[in-house]
Amino acid sequence: MHSVKLVPCELTTEPIVTGSSVLGVQCADGVVLACDTLASYGSLARFQRVTRFHQPAAGVVIAGGGEYSDLQQLFRITDNVYRQEFCHEDGWELTPRALHQYLSRLLYARRSRLDPLYNTVAVAGKGRFLGMVDMYGTAIETNLVATGIGTLLALPLLRKRWHEGLTMDDGLACLEDCLRVLYYRDCRALRTIQVAKVSDSGETFISEPYDLGNLQWKVAHAVTEKLMI
Amino acid sequence: MAGVGSGYDLSTTTFSPEGRVYQVEYAVKAVEQSGTVIGVRCVDGVVLAVENLRSTKLLQPNSLRRVFAVDRHIGIAIAGIGPDGRQMVSRARSEAQNFRNVYAEEIPPSLLAERLASYAHVYSLYWHVRPFGCAILIGGWDETSGPCLYIVEPDGSGYKYRAYANGKGRTAVRTALNKLNFDQLTCADAVSEIALMIHQSRDIAKDKPYELEMAWISEVCDRQFARVPMSLISSARQRAELEHQQMEGDASPGADAAEAAGTNVMEES
Amino acid sequence: MFRSQYDTDVTTFSPQGRLLQVEYAMEAVKQGSAVVGVRSSTHVVLATLKRSFSDLAWHQRKIVSIDEHIGVAISGIAADARVLTKRMRDECLQHRFVYGSAMPVSRLVNVIADLCQKCTQRVSRRPYGVGMLIAGVDETGPRLFQTCPSGEAYDLIGMALGSRSQSARTYLERHDEEVSSATREELIRHAVAALRETLASTRDLTLTAENCAIGVVGVGSDTRFHLYEYEEVQPLLDACSLESSPLQSASAGGADPPAADPEATDDATMQDAP
Repeated sequence: MHSVKLVPCELTTEPIVTGSSVLGVQCADGVVLACDTLASYGSLARFQRVTRFHQPAAGVVIAGGGEYSDLQQLFRITDNVYRQEFCHEDGWELTPRALHQYLSRLLYARRSRLDPLYNTVAVAGKGRFLGMVDMYGTAIETNLVATGIGTLLALPLLRKRWHEGLTMDDGLACLEDCLRVLYYRDCRALRTIQVAKVSDSGETFISEPYDLGNLQWKVAHAVTEKLMI
Repeated sequence: MAGVGSGYDLSTTTFSPEGRVYQVEYAVKAVEQSGTVIGVRCVDGVVLAVENLRSTKLLQPNSLRRVFAVDRHIGIAIAGIGPDGRQMVSRARSEAQNFRNVYAEEIPPSLLAERLASYAHVYSLYWHVRPFGCAILIGGWDETSGPCLYIVEPDGSGYKYRAYANGKGRTAVRTALNKLNFDQLTCADAVSEIALMIHQSRDIAKDKPYELEMAWISEVCDRQFARVPMSLISSARQRAELEHQQMEGDASPGADAAEAAGTNVMEES
Repeated sequence: MFRSQYDTDVTTFSPQGRLLQVEYAMEAVKQGSAVVGVRSSTHVVLATLKRSFSDLAWHQRKIVSIDEHIGVAISGIAADARVLTKRMRDECLQHRFVYGSAMPVSRLVNVIADLCQKCTQRVSRRPYGVGMLIAGVDETGPRLFQTCPSGEAYDLIGMALGSRSQSARTYLERHDEEVSSATREELIRHAVAALRETLASTRDLTLTAENCAIGVVGVGSDTRFHLYEYEEVQPLLDACSLESSPLQSASAGGADPPAADPEATDDATMQDAP
């Protein structure tokens, strides 16, 4: 008789190479996403110029934080989904909303298998779509997205600055300010960033990496002192 | 109705005394009965075309497709039993995706053809399955060698072709294909040549109405699979019909004479 | 009857390259009672004739709804149809779960067609002996498909399956242009008229609220597939029993023709406003 042995096994319990916060804002004429280009190895700023953006099809951009290899896998999976759509040719369109739902199902299924993809992803798309999914499969459609430590540091700022009729350019300026704050405070952040814009009609633009200007370190000592009190 | 290889032709696992596998040959018969299917490799791409026979006017125009996208750079046209062909197409799609997942590259059409040939071959080996009743034309763009055309037949063989035709009108079309100058032929030329070939291969009195279904993978469309624009197809078809009429007109006295001669012979006998 | 030696299993091709077992499975579709499907540019209508096997038996259901936007009429082996329709429901649910939206009809049809094909290539399973008319609405508008035991699927503007369905097909082919531009009410009348053609040989059988069911789906307020049965179907039948004559004489662009028919005046009130 052949007996089945149950071998205890351990799946990934923590991410290794990680990206930090992703920010997104829904504006009056489209959606803007922004994040830095760093993939840290623990506390080491290991890969400083990697993109965390992906455009699987016209009018859709996804950006993510967390385990970078899992993020690459997510990008490949979305590519496959869109390739299948290309082949179907049946007039059905995989909308950004449908992709968002797909990713939430995927991440939820993985976490239910106790083998999660360690990512938080933001989805931006035409028709002013903005949503995010975390590694547990929690899917939220919202006008403001901030992941990782950005939830604590950037979201309050974004909420304060956001108003009806915010243009994409204003939105972008707002995100840059938030990334500046994150660069000051988040030890896994970088001043090199990338932004993506998706207009209402689906025109998509992903910028080359560029450095944040106007950095102001004069008050740094005060911050430290204050913290030490 | 008894088959030529009576007794030896009931299963793919049976050889006839002459060393033939009749069941596979019968599968080829299924291919030969389909509407004409043509694939042509041109200098700037590859064109796949199907004479899509319409059995009833209740069919939605441009439906019942026989040409499918497999990946962004590969398409497949089916000659023979449609559902069997679709099965091959879904296999091809998963092969293409599989390759990409492993190598992070597009599958070379040659490799896809090889894998599909193996797939078809497996179905010609066992008693509990039957061979595919279809031949498939794989048109694709190869990173290194450019446009290419491969054929996988029901017996599991795969060949590379410059141009290929199968189905009802294959004999006439193959003759016509041999006359093409492949060193200069562009996809746009091929579209009108194919329209003419298909039109000429038909028996207007007997054959069902048809639609021309065409797709290409060419420079024009970024080396991606795309349907040939309907306007291009219909103008090619109109030209073909016109040209055919003119040729008929030129040839008609002779044809009449031949027909008259034919009836005479009949009467004498 | 000549008995072919090539017709006992699906893995045997005849010398002509035909698959006789699959063709026999297609015959099973013709054994069922008639079902008709018609499609206009806005709606799809299914009309079915239900049989009862005994006076004590209920009439066999011929239309099942699959999802909010899709309904199916079946002809052939009902048990096979149950397997396929269950699969279709699962597929639609799966699509909703994954993409959060309704499944495109053509995609669903392809899944079922591929499933049917698989049963035609190996001896371990016989082909499904059922033909289906699949009516639905999606982003591309109203759609009507037919699936076969062979694994073929047709995209259609009208079709009839089941016993004596040829006369209904002839009716649909003759009226194809009127059908495609028909309003919802006209379309129902065309479907019923086509279904009636299949009754021609049996004088005593007429369409009643018991033996007829009609399914409607379309754009606008009809995006939900609705099945009219029993008391609900009676008004539709009454509207149609104004007789097919005014309908047939109406030209494609002609006005809606509830023309005065003395016998049916009291039924005229049942006519739905377009």
